[in-house]
Amino acid sequence: MKIKLDAIRACLDGAIPGTIATCSPDGTPNMAYLSQVQYVDAGHVALSYQFFNTTRRNILANPHARVAVIDPETGAHYRLSLQYLRTEQEGPLFEKMKAKLAGIASHSGMAGVFRLLGSDIYRVLDIERVPGAVLPPPPPRANLLAALRASAEQLCLCSDLDSLLVQTLTCLEIHFDIHHAMVLMLDAPNARLYTVASRGYTQSGVGSEIALGEGVIGVAAREGTPIRIGHFAAEYSYTLAIRDNLQRSGLAPQLETEIPLPGLPGSRSQLAVPIRAGQRVLGILYVESPQDLRFGYDDEDALVSLAGGLGAAIQLLQHASAETAERGASVSPAAEPGSAPAAGPILEVRHYAENDSIFLDGRYLIKGVAGAILWALLNDFAAGGRIAFSNRELRLDPRIRLPDISDNLEARLILLGRRLVEHQAPIRIDKTGRGCFKLHIGRPLALLHIPHGG
Amino acid sequence: MTQALPPLLDDDQAAFISGGVSISAAACRSGGLPSMARATGCRIAADRRSITILLSATASAGLIDDVRRNGAIAVVFSLPADHRTLQFKGGDARVVPLEPGDEALAERYVDAFAGGLEPLGYPTQVIRCVLACRPDDLTAISFTPSAAFLQTPGPDAGNALRSGA
Repeated sequence: MKIKLDAIRACLDGAIPGTIATCSPDGTPNMAYLSQVQYVDAGHVALSYQFFNTTRRNILANPHARVAVIDPETGAHYRLSLQYLRTEQEGPLFEKMKAKLAGIASHSGMAGVFRLLGSDIYRVLDIERVPGAVLPPPPPRANLLAALRASAEQLCLCSDLDSLLVQTLTCLEIHFDIHHAMVLMLDAPNARLYTVASRGYTQSGVGSEIALGEGVIGVAAREGTPIRIGHFAAEYSYTLAIRDNLQRSGLAPQLETEIPLPGLPGSRSQLAVPIRAGQRVLGILYVESPQDLRFGYDDEDALVSLAGGLGAAIQLLQHASAETAERGASVSPAAEPGSAPAAGPILEVRHYAENDSIFLDGRYLIKGVAGAILWALLNDFAAGGRIAFSNRELRLDPRIRLPDISDNLEARLILLGRRLVEHQAPIRIDKTGRGCFKLHIGRPLALLHIPHGG
Repeated sequence: MTQALPPLLDDDQAAFISGGVSISAAACRSGGLPSMARATGCRIAADRRSITILLSATASAGLIDDVRRNGAIAVVFSLPADHRTLQFKGGDARVVPLEPGDEALAERYVDAFAGGLEPLGYPTQVIRCVLACRPDDLTAISFTPSAAFLQTPGPDAGNALRSGA
């Protein structure tokens, strides 16, 4: 029976380094160790090109190569007959391999030595099983297909974005045994991702931001491809990214609006998977683990499938919510105006026009679109006691300036709602139906607007 | 002739390649696919002019076939602990009879290699399984190293240490 490449992917995660044999035009063989053999698709692998060495000279002259790989659990030994096709020096595959190589390099004490110059793509001509004894495979950690099915069934039942996100994180915990996860949404015009839900961290980190291209999450979003690392890699670590951000921002400490990204201290395995709607990247599903090599090719496949369902569901809910709001808007009953309690200490709400940041009694709450939303709500409340709002009117509200018509307003509202709860603020927003919500104010307010340069 | 030159292999290299290092060999048919196999031990002649590697005949059938045709061989030795890697090439490789003690040498080799991998967290049971070779399947290939290359990962990888040719 012909051995299929996808059946031996466990051999390609680098637990036992592979070797490559090539041959020069004059018939001199050469043997070299491989840092990385990357599965591309059922018929192709990519090898990391790091130095211009004999292997490289040989394959450019004679494209035939053989690669030996070993299953790290059973010891099954395979030889792949390959034909070199081309080298990619940028793009999703290159970035995927670059990130993985950074993890391998740092794990093997080769940080600074291993640097990816290109991804050499080879056609797999044949796979041969080398005769020899094998160990029985360990029992599988989980049946990923069953986990995926159970999750898909549960996600189908979610009727709003908030419960969809919560359910996704719950499914990862229960069905996939993944205990550290977050969902980030993409703010494409600002080239940033913001955390909208997380699980398994001491601080939720909701509202924290990552620049497009930064770390595994930022690269996965920029390239629209899953990025998976099996070992700690400093250049992809978020503890560093955050520190750099803080240094770069140069803001006065009282204006510091950085919410720390949750992040797992001692994170060793990381996987960031794009959540898409068609071609468009909506956000990232990110999981991590303190274990080395926790996520393999199969885990990546399962989470890509899960994120596919999640992306479709997000888009469906967004359309449904827009439609409901439109139908409901004309018959929307004028809600009874509300009023703030007359007694009690006054809550000072300060709004900085510069970045729409909001500070409650001097403590940072939120900025950006979510900050602008809250400021508009509070102003409407202050002007006429208004407490009932619809997503549709917010979408059209010129004060809010959504960066993009396709922006997920629901995600911004979830973010705002969570921040208010985490902040234990005397302000809450509660959903009252599809596409509408109510504002609750628990203390008298003093609104203070600080214009640009103020 | 090479006989007039000092042996290519120095004492340090000889000690290195006969220790607990990973050993892999490549051969090829001109214009065709290269062949490859893992070795399970290495023995060096007293005059350091020839290297003999031990292999499983079954798992190395393709490599043995190519060596029989043209004698070209490349053998790479690497220590996982520090990635020090050396490659030796020769043009006169041939299958040779086993010598007394080769079986024990292969066993000692597997112990030394697996022993070095254990502290690095490698699955040593798996390595033992990969290198396991029935005594009646053990075979030997001998060659005169005519070129040596440093292959420790880095920009110097591939540089010739010395050529005896």
